[in-house]
Amino acid sequence: MATIAERVRSVTARVLKIDVDRIKPEDHFTADLGAESVQSIELVASFEEEFGIEMDEDAALSVDTVGGAVDFITKVCREQGVEVGP
Amino acid sequence: MAGTRQHPLVNTTEPNYLEDTFNYDLPPLIKFENHPVIEVIDGRAVEFNFNDVQQRDLVVTDTTFRDGQQARPPYTVDQMVHIYDLLAKLGGPHGVIRQTEFFLYTKNDRETLDRCRALGHPYPECTGWIRAVKGDFRLVKEAGLQETGMLTSCSDYHIFDKLKFKSRKECMDSYCEVVAAAFEAGVRPRCHLEDLTRADVDGFVLPFVDRLMEMSAPVPDQLKVKIRLCDTMGFGLPYPNVALPRSIPKLIYKLHVECGVPSERLEWHGHNDFHRVHANASTAWLYGCNASNTTLFGYGERTGNPPLEGAIMEYIALKGGLCGIDTTVITELAQYMQSIGLPIPDNYPFVGKHFNTTRAGIHAGGLRSNERIYNIMNTTKLLGRPPRVAITDKSGADGTTIWINDFFGLQGDARLNKIKCHKVCRWVLDQYEVEKRLTAISDEELETQVRELMPEQWAKYKRPAAAGGA
Repeated sequence: MATIAERVRSVTARVLKIDVDRIKPEDHFTADLGAESVQSIELVASFEEEFGIEMDEDAALSVDTVGGAVDFITKVCREQGVEVGP
Repeated sequence: MAGTRQHPLVNTTEPNYLEDTFNYDLPPLIKFENHPVIEVIDGRAVEFNFNDVQQRDLVVTDTTFRDGQQARPPYTVDQMVHIYDLLAKLGGPHGVIRQTEFFLYTKNDRETLDRCRALGHPYPECTGWIRAVKGDFRLVKEAGLQETGMLTSCSDYHIFDKLKFKSRKECMDSYCEVVAAAFEAGVRPRCHLEDLTRADVDGFVLPFVDRLMEMSAPVPDQLKVKIRLCDTMGFGLPYPNVALPRSIPKLIYKLHVECGVPSERLEWHGHNDFHRVHANASTAWLYGCNASNTTLFGYGERTGNPPLEGAIMEYIALKGGLCGIDTTVITELAQYMQSIGLPIPDNYPFVGKHFNTTRAGIHAGGLRSNERIYNIMNTTKLLGRPPRVAITDKSGADGTTIWINDFFGLQGDARLNKIKCHKVCRWVLDQYEVEKRLTAISDEELETQVRELMPEQWAKYKRPAAAGGA
């Protein structure tokens, strides 16, 4: 089963239409990966769909790096009792 | 250049919304400091106290059926009766809309007057409008009116070139004959000083008004002449230190103090040829005219008159309360006028389709967090018009999300966030970035997209009553 980090990278690559191999944990969604305003919202929506969770909009949109997204999603999954992989 | 004073920051973590002025449930209040306003007149400093508007019986008068009708095809009798009924409801029981004037020349004019009076409203009082011709008083008398306006044009453009008098004296004598006839008929004359702001004030206007005051001295109070100051061409100016005849402060001072016409018998009637119409009418209120003559939505000869609804908002702002006014009737009147063919521009204050519509995304974001940031007052309560956003390339996800929430009629915690609306936000963005669209997106187009891209929410929230997007 894919890890949270792998799934986050996969979703990010699909939404931002970039190669998954170029995505690193320290990458900023906006500055490094080129996410525009609506794409940031699409990313959050896609993460919700991928993990079956609901995120607070302001908190989710304030996460600015890929690694930060992994941590945030891990925390939300735990809070909402959602089983995720290793 | 160095400034004359340092201004230290007053730091705070609590916002100060200046609620004394910006009470959201009223138009922003107009507050004056406790100092007199000075105008130099004939070399003397004259003081005016604007705070006396709290005590004065300021009123709005209406000429929608006279000057207003000169700017459009005639109203039907039924239309005028309905408008009159709504004016009565708008102005409330204290008669903030105190009077409205009617032509008296045709059968339709007289039927309209009769039917309006038959409604039994104490206000607006019905008055007439006639030429300064003695024979016309028969019409006023037959109609049973207590007061009529009459044309007493006072610039030499009118006296010599329009009315063809041979001299100012001949003109004044002619006007005064008609005034005497009015007294004799038991009708109060309201002399309309046409083209006042282009007249020889010292040479004709003041001598004429002096004579009117002399003629009024022996007659009962209810017959004494009223004076309407007509800024026929929109030349009047509100600023201090302006020379006559264009100075509104000086004109009012001369008539009020030098000629002795009380404020309750002075009325301002403006035109909008230089975009000053509302400010000029308000200035006249402040300097001593108790009545401000207006038309609904400013419709009047050429560029129009002071808009009645603007005067209503100004009245509330000056008085600090609604005073019995039902401001929601302004919206009702606008809808009715549009239904009978009167165009109202989308950006027209208080009633235009987009008067409280925000387009820029960054503004919509502000509106989303607190509607007061970009809404002038509680337009939902005062006008039945919640603030809206219109969708263009500048709207952003915030704007689109507000539109969707308003469309579904969602309030408070039930409102959807941007995440839930992202597909429609994407569609909007693509319209401009991919499709290279150059026009705004209509409510109907957005409705179609919401139905298609948000089927769950559509099924849950869409009810027939929410149709139309606001």
